[in-house]
Amino acid sequence: MSALGELRTITHKRGPESAASKRARTKDNKVAAFFLAPWLLGLLGITIGPMLISLYLAFTNYNLLQAPKFTGLANIQRMLGDERLAHSLQATFTYVIVSVPLQLGTALALAVLLDRGLRALPLYRSVFYLPSLLGSSVAVAVLWRLVFGGEGLVNAFLAVFGIEGAAWISSPDTALSTLILLHMWTFGAPMVIFLAGLRQIPREYYEASSTDGATKWRQFRSITLPLLSPIIFFNLVLGLIGSFQTFTQAFIVSNGSGGPADSTLFFSLYLYQEGFSSFRMGYASALAWLLLIIIGIFTSLNFWASKYWVFYDD
Amino acid sequence: MISRLQRRMLAPLALGAVAVLGLTGCGTATTAQSTELTDEDVTLTLSWWGADARGQKTSEAIKLFEKAHPNITVEAQNSDWGGYWDRLATTTAAGDMPDVMQFDEQFLASYANRGTLLDLAEFTDILDPSYMDKKILAGGAVNDTQYAIPISGAPSAVLINTALFEQYGVSLPDLTTWTWDDYSETAQALTEASDGAVHGISPVGVDSFTLNVFARQHGEQLFDEDGDIVIPVETVADYWQTELDQIESGAAPSAEQLSESAGVPLDQYDIVTGKTAMQFIPAGVFTAHQSAAPNAKFILADWPTDSDTEEGFQYMKPTMYWSAAATSAHPAEAAALIDFLTTDPEVGTLFGTDRGISVNPDIQEVIKPTLTGADKIAFDYITNAAETVGAAAPITPNGASDINAVISRYNQEVQFKSSTPTEAAEAMIAEIQNSIDAAK
Repeated sequence: MSALGELRTITHKRGPESAASKRARTKDNKVAAFFLAPWLLGLLGITIGPMLISLYLAFTNYNLLQAPKFTGLANIQRMLGDERLAHSLQATFTYVIVSVPLQLGTALALAVLLDRGLRALPLYRSVFYLPSLLGSSVAVAVLWRLVFGGEGLVNAFLAVFGIEGAAWISSPDTALSTLILLHMWTFGAPMVIFLAGLRQIPREYYEASSTDGATKWRQFRSITLPLLSPIIFFNLVLGLIGSFQTFTQAFIVSNGSGGPADSTLFFSLYLYQEGFSSFRMGYASALAWLLLIIIGIFTSLNFWASKYWVFYDD
Repeated sequence: MISRLQRRMLAPLALGAVAVLGLTGCGTATTAQSTELTDEDVTLTLSWWGADARGQKTSEAIKLFEKAHPNITVEAQNSDWGGYWDRLATTTAAGDMPDVMQFDEQFLASYANRGTLLDLAEFTDILDPSYMDKKILAGGAVNDTQYAIPISGAPSAVLINTALFEQYGVSLPDLTTWTWDDYSETAQALTEASDGAVHGISPVGVDSFTLNVFARQHGEQLFDEDGDIVIPVETVADYWQTELDQIESGAAPSAEQLSESAGVPLDQYDIVTGKTAMQFIPAGVFTAHQSAAPNAKFILADWPTDSDTEEGFQYMKPTMYWSAAATSAHPAEAAALIDFLTTDPEVGTLFGTDRGISVNPDIQEVIKPTLTGADKIAFDYITNAAETVGAAAPITPNGASDINAVISRYNQEVQFKSSTPTEAAEAMIAEIQNSIDAAK
């Protein structure tokens, strides 16, 4: 759409149109529309269409096998008394609020360390980035089960020192923490972005401040953080949106149950169970819209708050 | 020049759009159904869940069927248990249900009540299940309509790994008369003898089949004929209290250990890996357990009882069914395929006990001499038990097809002591009845 608009402004700038240029413009528009068609078809057919349908389904009782029945606000009423929904919101919020800052903090700390011009920087960068590629994959979640299982690597390691390990993934007290740890471990993606951001900060600032006797910590607080704040903001927005939608890790680690005792029942996992295990697709659609609204609110809050702490150095 | 190019390129796009419209049209088109076989070329889809071995056997059976009916081609669709139901729900919603499907008791009423399955009684000329015991055949009917043909049936039984009892020198009580106390105490003795290396039992279980058998021991049942949940709160609470006691005494593993092995595939079950020695299983899956655990020496025994236990508490639960789609364009051929898979002696020998012990006496005769080892133990156990089992149990009603997940969730609350057995039982029964009411 925006490309079409651009085309139009370009042609408008040519001043009063001759018949020939008008024809050329129509032709240009057609060409643009043609090249946009695959993307537009995808947007309408794969994104907007299903979204509109799911908005309708959110107000119906739909079991997948029979035609949806319109039930008005019944699904929203159901949400208010749904104890498992409360559990899943609690698990999801805990996860997001704890794991996102932890992950970004780790990423930033390592980015600052690596930015000091280590000799094998590309190697470290790749090694640290690797978990991000794998982190949300099924294979790593399976690995996590093995590492934190009752007879897993962690407990075997602790046993060497005579410590009896806990049942990390199978106790309701610790299961969520292992997933938070898994998320933290995927700090590579934001780290690479932080590294790129650090490179953009002019070296002169640091040189000038050390001449004035600023300590490293002072430099970090007064130069690095403010100049990096747009990047931090970017990573924070992406991190929040992404972790609200976490599914694979919880699905694999809990064998699809969100257990033990619903302690890892993330929102999208609950949504999936309602839709595909209990055949309440209408309710699942309503849940999907609730998630969209929650993410929308958090992202707007984020943008609003950014006015007060993000510094654009133009 | 450009406009000509455009037109040339737009044409296929437009065609594509028309084709998409056409396809969606197909989904809703009603097809004239015939109860007669045709001579025209017909393609059927056959869908099942299960491991590779089952896949190979089924593919060979398809070849035999295609030889007997040269005008019919059968396309196979095969997946694992979890993926199977996700996929069936979505393909059914899309109007693209397979013609013939392997089915399970949990989901039968959900699909039948929603009008997606074919009434197989209309095809008695082609598909005649009169060989089957009425008690078992009834397990494939919903509201007196025969939506499914039971393939095999089996009671619940105790799977016992005698190798572990020999290894730790613990002797088993008389298994024909043992009581619930014998059961728990024997288990505890094994745990103690092994110094906690193994546990006596994987406890009562988290599936609706064992809960139902437990209820029937007390003269109750899980669901009634109207499809409502009728098990009393006390019975469920009792069921979970038994489990808590077993965990407490060390007869069963801890809540954490149980939670870790919840939902894993069969080859990682505690009973298969030798971490526990006894567990309730549907007798039909005995062979699957034995072949996954070559070092174990498994036997089957009936459930422990108490003096007040009702007679005939066991029942033959159909292990699996064949069903056909109401939307099938070739229902007669679909019925013929089901008939072939359940009555052809060659297919019977080929399948053996892979889908459980066939409920067809003719097939039982054919396969009996060929059975050895685990298959023979299961066959003898099930055919003997068939003589003493009670009436069939009403099947899982519409709206409760996720009952195993629900039971297991509340069971975990009890295990981790976040609810008492009574609280959890009350909440579970209310939740299941709510889902049933919502689906009515």
